[in-house]
Amino acid sequence: MGSSEHPRERRRRRQLAVTVVSAVLVLVPLTLGWHWAKAGWRDWHYNYPATPTGYTQIVNRFGQPCNADASAISMPWTASDNNQTYSPRFHKKLGGYPTEMVPNKGGRSTNLDNDVYGHIQNDHVGQYAKSGIWGYFCRTIKGTSTWSTHAWGIAIDISAAYEPQGSCRSTVNRNFAYVFRNHGWRWGLDFCDPMHFQYAFGY
Amino acid sequence: MRKVFLTLGACAVVAGMAVGAVAAIGSAAPGPHERSLGPTMKPDTGAGELLLVVLGGVYETRQEAEAANAGMTFGDVQGYYVVPLAQFQGFREQLGSPGDFALVSVFRTEEGAAEFAAAAQMFGHPATILPTRVRSLGGLYAGLGQEAAPDGSGPLMAPIPDSLP
Repeated sequence: MGSSEHPRERRRRRQLAVTVVSAVLVLVPLTLGWHWAKAGWRDWHYNYPATPTGYTQIVNRFGQPCNADASAISMPWTASDNNQTYSPRFHKKLGGYPTEMVPNKGGRSTNLDNDVYGHIQNDHVGQYAKSGIWGYFCRTIKGTSTWSTHAWGIAIDISAAYEPQGSCRSTVNRNFAYVFRNHGWRWGLDFCDPMHFQYAFGY
Repeated sequence: MRKVFLTLGACAVVAGMAVGAVAAIGSAAPGPHERSLGPTMKPDTGAGELLLVVLGGVYETRQEAEAANAGMTFGDVQGYYVVPLAQFQGFREQLGSPGDFALVSVFRTEEGAAEFAAAAQMFGHPATILPTRVRSLGGLYAGLGQEAAPDGSGPLMAPIPDSLP
């Protein structure tokens, strides 16, 4: 049956297949290269601390609450709804390592300011990060006398105006929460605080 | 017949104990969504110390102050505390406005007060650092200790030269 196909037709099909494969082989790397170059970003995954579980591990890994390292690094993050640029501060172990995207801030890893932020921009979900973005804050958890993870600089609140504490559903942060989760972070939606992301479990 | 009932009863007791033991083990092991929080801070009022006040507002009654405070969210962290003005010597003199209750957070260092005031403003809440330190007469907890120690070691939990009378 197949042998009844005209040789010219067969050649034409083969040429078409070769053309398509060649185009894919050329265009995909070019597109990726352009994408990276445009974002000025490469995923490093360099020197992440292990995500601690519980208070003791948090202190062992990140020191006392409100210590100098907890607020050592800052990054600019522009909210998409009001174009305000926030400067959340965070722990030295969670970023500040020099990359194409981040100047040398004396930090020890590429976690938050290069990899998480870069992924969010590169996946085109930065538009969902809205007003109300902050990190380090030397305070206790609301209504308690126990330290918030913000006091160690290992938590960041995003889109606070859209993701009220106590809500067990997410409106915008759900679009990029996977990026945080893929980089060792826990999303506060687990305990009905969808604006909150923390680099700790069991706390 | 009696033997059968006794056997069934014994089986029920054993099964109950087994279920109880499993439940006890299950509750002892922390699940992925459980939060085991750290030690609680001792409520430090800084009695006798001279403290800096960040003021969020003054209200006639405690109820009004509590209601206003409930409306001022600071994300998931604690913002202001409701205290009577009489809790601090030199407080009422600086306000010049009526009311007996205030939303405050107090600090020992200027850096701590400035950092909190900046954060409050970022959250869109009023925040004024009173120009003169006030003397704490004890009373309710008003946020003392929630600031970084000048040496960078952790929270500032003790008086500093500036806060001593």
